[in-house]
Amino acid sequence: MAAITTEGLTKHYGDVRANEELSFEVREGEVFGYLGPNGAGKSTTIRTLMGFQSPTSGSATVLGHDVTDRKAMIEAKRHLGYVPAEMGFDEDVTGNRFLRYQASLKGDSRSEELLELFDPPMDREIGEYSTGNKRKLAIVLAFMHDPDLVIMDKPTSGLDPLMQERFYEFIRDEQARGKTFFFSSHILSEVQKICDRVGVIRNGHLVELEDVETLLDRGGKRVSVRVADPVDREAFAIEGAHDVSVAGDERSPQPTTADGGESGDGARTASDRPSSADEPSGNGNSSSGGRDGTSVSFTFTGDYNDLLSHLVAYDILDLDIADAPLEDVFMRFYGEVDPDTESAAGGTAEAESSPEESADV
Amino acid sequence: MFEVARYEGERRAMLALTIVVAAAFYGTMFVAIAPSFTDLDLASLFAELPKQLTEGLGIESMNTLSGILSVELYQVGWLLVLGIYLAYNAASMIAGEIESGRIDSLLAAPVSRTRLAGEEFLSLLLPILAINAVTPIVLFVAASFLDETLDPVNLVVLHALAVPYLLCCAAVGFVFSVFLTDESHARIAAVGTLVVTYLLETVFIGTDYEVLGTIAPMNYIDPTAILVDGSYDFAGGAILLVAAAVLVLAGLVRFGRMDIG
Repeated sequence: MAAITTEGLTKHYGDVRANEELSFEVREGEVFGYLGPNGAGKSTTIRTLMGFQSPTSGSATVLGHDVTDRKAMIEAKRHLGYVPAEMGFDEDVTGNRFLRYQASLKGDSRSEELLELFDPPMDREIGEYSTGNKRKLAIVLAFMHDPDLVIMDKPTSGLDPLMQERFYEFIRDEQARGKTFFFSSHILSEVQKICDRVGVIRNGHLVELEDVETLLDRGGKRVSVRVADPVDREAFAIEGAHDVSVAGDERSPQPTTADGGESGDGARTASDRPSSADEPSGNGNSSSGGRDGTSVSFTFTGDYNDLLSHLVAYDILDLDIADAPLEDVFMRFYGEVDPDTESAAGGTAEAESSPEESADV
Repeated sequence: MFEVARYEGERRAMLALTIVVAAAFYGTMFVAIAPSFTDLDLASLFAELPKQLTEGLGIESMNTLSGILSVELYQVGWLLVLGIYLAYNAASMIAGEIESGRIDSLLAAPVSRTRLAGEEFLSLLLPILAINAVTPIVLFVAASFLDETLDPVNLVVLHALAVPYLLCCAAVGFVFSVFLTDESHARIAAVGTLVVTYLLETVFIGTDYEVLGTIAPMNYIDPTAILVDGSYDFAGGAILLVAAAVLVLAGLVRFGRMDIG
């Protein structure tokens, strides 16, 4: 039996088409990543799967139960864990009190063990919690009744890198115990670490359903390099380099696609702010040139050895290599967005995505 | 069963305690100042006042302790302030939980929506019952200390009938909280509804539009009649209870089916 199935699952909010004809299956025992930029419709799917809302058309089952059957869903939730994107807990009670409350509703067979692992400050009122601590509490609450399937909406946002690693490790252990995971993310590297298969959603449509490796081979890195001497864009026309842009040189050509043209740290945060990919990059170059040297940035999908041997030839002042922003990857492989669906998805972004997560990556 | 009600009730314990203490002080104060009113010839004093004031607020009987309490503590304190306060609180219930996302962690549990919302509403019984149980005792004790007469049976009946009234006010808030799903809108609508119906009920007394007052919850409970005259309107209490049940049920049905986004 599949842990989750969807068949032509569609959800519209008025004119906003948040999910369109989604059909996929999550097999028992696998870690399924649900990947897409902010506002793609990930949370919409998750809320439908949790039975919080009814699909406009199509159907879905969770652990064999129809998501529109409220009685069946109550039964399903005995074996279902959920980490919400927005962790709205009662702020005036302590973590302990809220844990006891949740235990009274759904049972508790392993909170002690989980608290040792994730360790949120249980004696303090939840109102005093940081985002990271709320996230830890949410994880404990999602797993305390030892569910068979856990649905998670951007579960690592707000966790510090150390805790993220611990969480990934925990998921791998749980998977070994036979659990199934469905989780949404907009971070490619996260999906790479723990997922067996990935569904890619964009503007409400499922655009890809494949193994992680296949997707990663196509993802690439965002490379930003500052070199001492002026260079031509052509100098970086090496195999696997896309969207090369050069800054700090008046003669430099404009970037070929709407890829932001960031340099240095800009590329690192770009995956969190897909809007940066939409900004006109024409006049953004002046600031990234730096007082000395020339900044070159591009997406690289080729052989790393080729890249490094190419770079050796230059006097390098600064170098930053990070995962390519998901929106850039999508742009390259799935093309420009249809203007109609783009505006629709823009509306969805407000409706379904949580407040800007700055702590990602 | 009742885990939700217990938890929510616990969270409202502080609120219950606060309003109980406030009501006790407020009530005792009127018992204490009552003797200074008793010598007044109110009938001649209020002869010139419009009927809306004398009958609507029942101030004609203010030269007795029961009269003063009926007007100052019950008409204003219970029917208006407490009623509005409970409606305001209930209006935040579902709407507030949806707005803050708190509802998600509850809906993820294997509990029906009807039970969640129903028990949350029930948790309001704690402050309602507490204040109506403690206040009559405090008033009775205070009155006997000051050698004032206060009929204990009337007092108990008044507070018993105040329970369906306050439940009805809370139900008004609850139904707005489900149907409007925006916390501030729900609060405004709930408070507005009670204030407007209260005005309809008092302003149109003795006019051709008096019938408009029948939609006001306040129309079905009359503290002065109970406390001063000892006449009890149990049918009114039953109407309030039924109205509360209908409103809560409507809210539960809607909550059970709606999209929570």
